[in-house]
Amino acid sequence: MLKAYKEKYYKNNFQYILVDSLGKIIDTDDSIIPSESKYSIQEVHPFFESISDLFTISNQHYDFSCVNLDFEKKSIIADIVIYTHDNNENIIIIENLTEHYNRYQLTAQTRNESVINSQILELKNEYLLEKEQFKNNFIANFSHQLRNPITASAIFSKFLSNTNLNSEQKNYLDIILSANNDLKYRINDILDLAKIESGQLILNETTFNLKELLNKIATGYQIFATKQNLDFETGFDPKLPSYLVGDRYRLKQIIGNLINNAINFTSKGQVSLHVSLNYIRAEKASLHIEVADTGIGIDKSEHDSIFERFTKVNPNSQNNRNIGLGLAIVKYLLAQMNGNISIESQSNLGSKFVCNLSLKTAKESHKLLEVSHEIVYPDFDKKKSILLVEDSELIQLSILKILSSNGNFFLNIISNGEDVIPTLKNQEADIILISNTIQRYSAEELARSIKELSTAHKKIPILALSTEVFKEDLKRYKRSGIKDVISKPFDDKSLLDKLYKYVK
Amino acid sequence: MTTSKKIVLLGHFGVGKSSLIRRFVENTFSENYKVTIGVHIFKKVVEVSNSDSISLIIWDLEGQDDIKKTRSSYLLGTNGFIYVFDLSRPITFENLNSELEFLKENFPNIPVKVVGNKMDLVTKLYLKDYSEVFGHLVDFFTSAKTGSRVDNLFSKLAKELL
Repeated sequence: MLKAYKEKYYKNNFQYILVDSLGKIIDTDDSIIPSESKYSIQEVHPFFESISDLFTISNQHYDFSCVNLDFEKKSIIADIVIYTHDNNENIIIIENLTEHYNRYQLTAQTRNESVINSQILELKNEYLLEKEQFKNNFIANFSHQLRNPITASAIFSKFLSNTNLNSEQKNYLDIILSANNDLKYRINDILDLAKIESGQLILNETTFNLKELLNKIATGYQIFATKQNLDFETGFDPKLPSYLVGDRYRLKQIIGNLINNAINFTSKGQVSLHVSLNYIRAEKASLHIEVADTGIGIDKSEHDSIFERFTKVNPNSQNNRNIGLGLAIVKYLLAQMNGNISIESQSNLGSKFVCNLSLKTAKESHKLLEVSHEIVYPDFDKKKSILLVEDSELIQLSILKILSSNGNFFLNIISNGEDVIPTLKNQEADIILISNTIQRYSAEELARSIKELSTAHKKIPILALSTEVFKEDLKRYKRSGIKDVISKPFDDKSLLDKLYKYVK
Repeated sequence: MTTSKKIVLLGHFGVGKSSLIRRFVENTFSENYKVTIGVHIFKKVVEVSNSDSISLIIWDLEGQDDIKKTRSSYLLGTNGFIYVFDLSRPITFENLNSELEFLKENFPNIPVKVVGNKMDLVTKLYLKDYSEVFGHLVDFFTSAKTGSRVDNLFSKLAKELL
């Protein structure tokens, strides 16, 4: 019985073919591959045709594993062993391992596919990162180019508004001022997003008066909403703490962006802002902010996507002025502050945005340190002299106009980096303003050279007029001895605030 | 007169060796990737001139990320090599120099054609970016999918083998 099984097993799995040195078949059967009807082994399959030279070398042994052999009626995968002898008889042993190799093929298929997919994913990821980097650089560069003209346009519009204008001219100017303001916010939005996405946005924590901030926001938007023929309702929880520690500017931005969004998408009815206290625990106050409107609403299917960049619901809306960055910024800022945002809304039934965030409560001693945001401009006994290093004529003229209106400063303007040191050797300066767009010289380089001039020069406060407002830029400026940065676009107040802060 | 020549295709897995052969032998292409294990052998007779034709016996080897891992018996008696890499996956041409060096050392005088496949997936700008890596080494930029330059590749090699 054993013999019968052995025979059956071997017959089905092994085939022995005897060939001469030219490949002529001497003995074979058809147990695995059809060969009985062939004259030479070369005719059986191209595999044998391509190895037939091996039969001419005597007393050799060759192993070919996992050879896929396709015939008209069947395909097999076999290990093939060849022994050559000097008696002109060569033996070919074929072992059929089709099932075994087919199982191996499945494993290899899964493994290779997963390796290739992960390589492709990695490449896509690299590509996306490069694209993101390019986009952020592009945005940063592009917005820098816009900052000088926006600054000049804002400043001169404001001065123009103080001249004798008839009511028609005043109306036109109001439109220019408002458009300019819009443009400034849009650029700041774009830059903020670029900062957030490159991880460069830092929260600037200070102690601030929460109630005062909320009242300011309420007053500002009351006027804006009235202009749009909307009611603006506010409700602030009396339990809210007066003082908190956090980034006042960013909190204002979160609330402001939500209200702007509500007003933009509401053509009639009401927009409201309610702020209440969830609880105070472990020296942290949890705030609950709700901004609701009676506007076009947002379909449930769009609730997640509205927080993505450049998404705007109902793009055909006539009222649509928002390019859709505001909510993305709100979401990012809240995430930075460990807060969250949710939305309750249905199409045509208005929307309600609800945020919760925690801010540190202020200690008694810290409350005294709160910096007043209003700087009083004192008169000096003697006019202070400012050296301005700036190659943009628009900015030169803007600063000249601001300072001449203020009356407390002399202005000396240099357009070339080369002239800075020779000028300072002959003239005194109480403050030096250096633009970061001077050709061939960076603001830091110039600051360093000035500091090296003499001990007296070391003491002159240097401020940068900069379009570079990223965290790394600010660090770089500080290292080179630049005291502070006036970021473009600036207005008369932000320029004068900084000058009065540093002038001695 | 017809002579028979053995051509071996080498390269990483998934670079399109089997697809190039299918395009050349059967003029077909499939988007589905099927992993080759071991070796598949194909045959096609190519007319090189009016009187001469050549029977190309093409060995389609299982892809390897290192040529040294290839079973040595598969390479016995090879008359010509085609080294294929995937233009869209840099990992498949990162070690191109050392792979070709190995062939040169172990199979001196055997012609080698270097092929950047999947040309349909990349742009001219991309090729320019990578030209320093493989530009001077590549003989053919092919696409098994569109069929671009596939026949040229095999005919060129066939002529050199005659």
